[in-house]
Amino acid sequence: MLSKSAARAFFLSGTLLFSAVFIWLTVDTFQRIPAQTNAGDLTESVVRGKHLWEENNCMGCHTLLGEGAYYAPELTRVYDRRGPAFIGQMLRDPEAVYPGQRRMVTYDFTDEQVADMVAFFEWIGRMDLNGFPPEPTIGIAAAAIAIPGGKRPEIFSQVCTACHSLGGVGGTIGPALDGVGDRFDRGYLMRWITDPQAVKPGTKMPQLGLTEEQRNEVVIFLSKQREAGL
Amino acid sequence: MKYQSQKVAYWFFATCMLLLALQIIYGFIMAFAHVGFDVLHPWIPFNVARATHTNLLIVWMLTGFMGAAYFIIPDECERPIYWPRLAYVQLIALVVVSVTAVIGFHFGWWEGRKFLEIPRPLDYLVVVDVLLFVANIGMTIWKAPKITTTSIVLFFGLLMAAVLYLPGMIPTDHQTHDSFWRWWVVHLWVEGVWELIMGGILAYLLIRLTGVDRELVEKWLYVIVGFTFLSGILGTGHHYYFIGTPSYWLWIGGIFSALEPLAFLGMAIYGLALAKKGGRNHPNRIALFWTVGCCVMAFVGAGLLGAAHTLPQVNLFTHGTLVTAMHAHMAFWGAYAMLILAIITYAMPILTGRKLFETASATFAFWATNIGMIAMTVAFGVAGVAQVYLERRAGMEFLDVQRELQVHFIGLILAATLFTSGVIAFIYNFIRYGWPVGDVEETPSSGAAVAAPAE
Ligand code: HEM
Ligand code: HEM
Ligand SMILES: [Fe+2]
Repeated sequence: MLSKSAARAFFLSGTLLFSAVFIWLTVDTFQRIPAQTNAGDLTESVVRGKHLWEENNCMGCHTLLGEGAYYAPELTRVYDRRGPAFIGQMLRDPEAVYPGQRRMVTYDFTDEQVADMVAFFEWIGRMDLNGFPPEPTIGIAAAAIAIPGGKRPEIFSQVCTACHSLGGVGGTIGPALDGVGDRFDRGYLMRWITDPQAVKPGTKMPQLGLTEEQRNEVVIFLSKQREAGL
Repeated sequence: MKYQSQKVAYWFFATCMLLLALQIIYGFIMAFAHVGFDVLHPWIPFNVARATHTNLLIVWMLTGFMGAAYFIIPDECERPIYWPRLAYVQLIALVVVSVTAVIGFHFGWWEGRKFLEIPRPLDYLVVVDVLLFVANIGMTIWKAPKITTTSIVLFFGLLMAAVLYLPGMIPTDHQTHDSFWRWWVVHLWVEGVWELIMGGILAYLLIRLTGVDRELVEKWLYVIVGFTFLSGILGTGHHYYFIGTPSYWLWIGGIFSALEPLAFLGMAIYGLALAKKGGRNHPNRIALFWTVGCCVMAFVGAGLLGAAHTLPQVNLFTHGTLVTAMHAHMAFWGAYAMLILAIITYAMPILTGRKLFETASATFAFWATNIGMIAMTVAFGVAGVAQVYLERRAGMEFLDVQRELQVHFIGLILAATLFTSGVIAFIYNFIRYGWPVGDVEETPSSGAAVAAPAE
C-alpha cells in the first residue's frame, strides 16, 4: 500500500511541476495577448473607457467577455449589435430607451466619457475571442428569412430591433413591424420616428436621435414592409 | 477544549453568523429584482446588492477559516495561541475593514471587478490583517511541541490564500490582463488553496468524530490535495477560453479542469468511508452530518456541476449565463459554507460547555438548508439552460428571454425561503449555546501536559 511519505512526495512533486508549467504558460500568454487583442489600438480613450467600466461596476449587472453578472445583456459585441448612437442614448437616459423595463442606473457621463465607453466597446468587440460569443445555431434567427424591401439598413438592425421584431427577429417590447407599410404611409412613419411624442403623446417609444439620412433609410425600408410581400 | 485562548474562535464564528444573515438579505434583493420587483433600485441597484452579496460571502468564509484555525491549531499542536490578544485585534480589524467596504459599495466606492470589489486602499488592510493572522498561527505551530500533517496542510492553505490575494491587485489598462490576474485569485482560491484548507479542516473533523487512525486519514489527505493541484492549477485555463488569450487554453483548460472533480470525489469517498468505518460513536452526530454532507455536496456542486460546463464546447454556450450561478451556489455552499458550519457545530459544545447535540432545531437546520439549496440550484439551473437555448442558440433578445425566465426566479425565491428557514434555525441554535464559558481540560489528551503552559 501507498505510504504516507510517498503520498507526500506525490503532492509536493505534482504541485511544483504544475506550478512551473503554469508560470511558463503565463509568460507565453502575455507575449501573445497583444496580437490577439489588437493591443496597438489601445488608445487613451479606450483605457479611460476601461476604467469607467470598472469605477461604475458595470460588471455588477452585465457581462463582458462573458464575465460579470446575469442581470443585464452581454456587451462583448454591443458595438456591432447596437452601434454608437444607441450606446450613447443608453448611457444618458436608459429609462427613455427601455421604458417600463428592467432598470439601468442613470449616469451623468460627459460627452467625452460616453465617447470613451464607446471606444472601449469598439476595441473589445474586435478582439479574437476563440469563437465567443457564439452565433445562434437554431430557430428563427439562424434561418435566413426573406424580408421584403431588401437588406435591412444597419441602423434598423442596431436600434429598432432592440424593441421591435420583423420576420420574427428582434425584441418584443414594442409591436412587431411586419406589414407596417400597409398601415402607415411614409409621411406618418417619418413623423413618428422623428418624434413619437408629437404624434402620440404618452407613448413609450423614445426619441431615437437618428440623423436625417438614417431616418430616410429606415422609413423607405419600413414602407416596403407589406403583408402581401411575405 | 485544551486552552483558554481557543475561545477566540467563538467570536469569529459569531461574526460568520451575522455576515451570513446579511448576505442572504442581499440575495433576496437580487432575486426580487430578477422578477421585476426592484423598488430598492434608486438606493441599492443590482450591482450594489451583488457586490455586497458576494463580498459578504467571501468575508464570512475567511472569518470562518480563521476561527477554525484558531480552534484547531492549538488542539492539534498542543500549545495555546502564540499571541492570544492579537487574535482579537485581528478579528476586530477584519470586521471594521469589511463593514467599511460594504458600506462603501453603497456609495460607489469599489472596484468593478467581480468578487474583488473591495477598493484598493482596503485591499492593503485586508492583506496586512491576513498576514498578522498567518503569523499568529505560524508562530503557534513553530513553537509547538508537536506538528501534525493536518495542521501543516491547513497552515499552508491559509498562507497561500493570503499570497494569492496579491495578483488581484496588479494594476492594468488592458481588460484581458485584468481578467487574467483576477482568476489567479478567484480560481486559484476556490479550486486550489481553499481546498487545502478544506482538506485540513475535514481531516481534523474526521479524526475527531470517527476516531479513525490519524496516519490513514493524513495519508489520504496528501493524495487528495495532490489531485487538487495536479488538476486545479492548469485547470485555471477554463477561465481563459474566451477572454482574448491563446486558443491552447481550450485544450489545457478543458483537459485539466475536467480532472478537478477527482479531488472532490476523493473527499466524498474519504468522508463516507471514514464515517462508516469509524467505530467510535461520537455523541455530536449532527457535526458528523455536516462533515459528511460537506464532502458529498462539494462533490455534487463543485465536481459534477462544475464539470458539466467546463469543456470548451459546452462553455462556449453557457459562459456568463445563469448556468454559472447555479454551479456557483451549490459549489460554495457544499464545499465551504457546509465546512464552516461543520466546524462550528463541532466546536460549539466544546467552546460553551453545553452539550446540545441532536436537538430538533439542529436537525431541521441541516435538512432545510440542504434541501433548500438543492432546490435553488435546480431553479438557477433550469433558468440557465432555458437562457442558453433562447438567447445563445435561438438568438432571442436578452430582455425578452429574461421575461421568460421570471417564473424560475419565483421558484428560486420559494427555495431560498426554505433555505433561509434552515439558516435561521442554525443561528437560533448558535445563540442557544450561549457564551464561550466552556471548561479547559485538565490534561491535554495525548499526554503532552508538560508542554502546555498555564495561561
Ligand atoms: C469548491 C469549489 C468551487 C467553487 C466554490 C466554484 C465557484 C465558482 C464561481 C463563483 C464561478 C463564477 C465565477 C465568475 O464567473 O466570476 C465559477 C465558474 C466556473 N466553475 Fe467553479 N467552483 C468550484 C469548483 C469547480 C470545479 C471543480 C469545476 C470543474 C470541474 C468548476 C468549473 C467552473 C467553470 C467552467 C466556470 C466558468 C463558468 C463560466 O464560463 O461562466 N468549478 N465557479
Ligand atoms: C437566500 C439565499 C440566496 C439567494 C436568494 C441568492 C440569490 C442570488 C442571486 C439572484 C445572484 C445573482 C445572479 C445574477 O448575477 O443575476 C446570486 C449570486 C451569487 N450568490 Fe447567491 N443567493 C443566496 C444565497 C447564497 C449562498 C448561501 C451562497 C454561498 C454559499 C451564495 C453565493 C453566491 C455567489 C458565489 C454568487 C455569484 C454567482 C456568479 O457570479 O456566478 N448565495 N445569488
Ligand atoms: Fe475555476
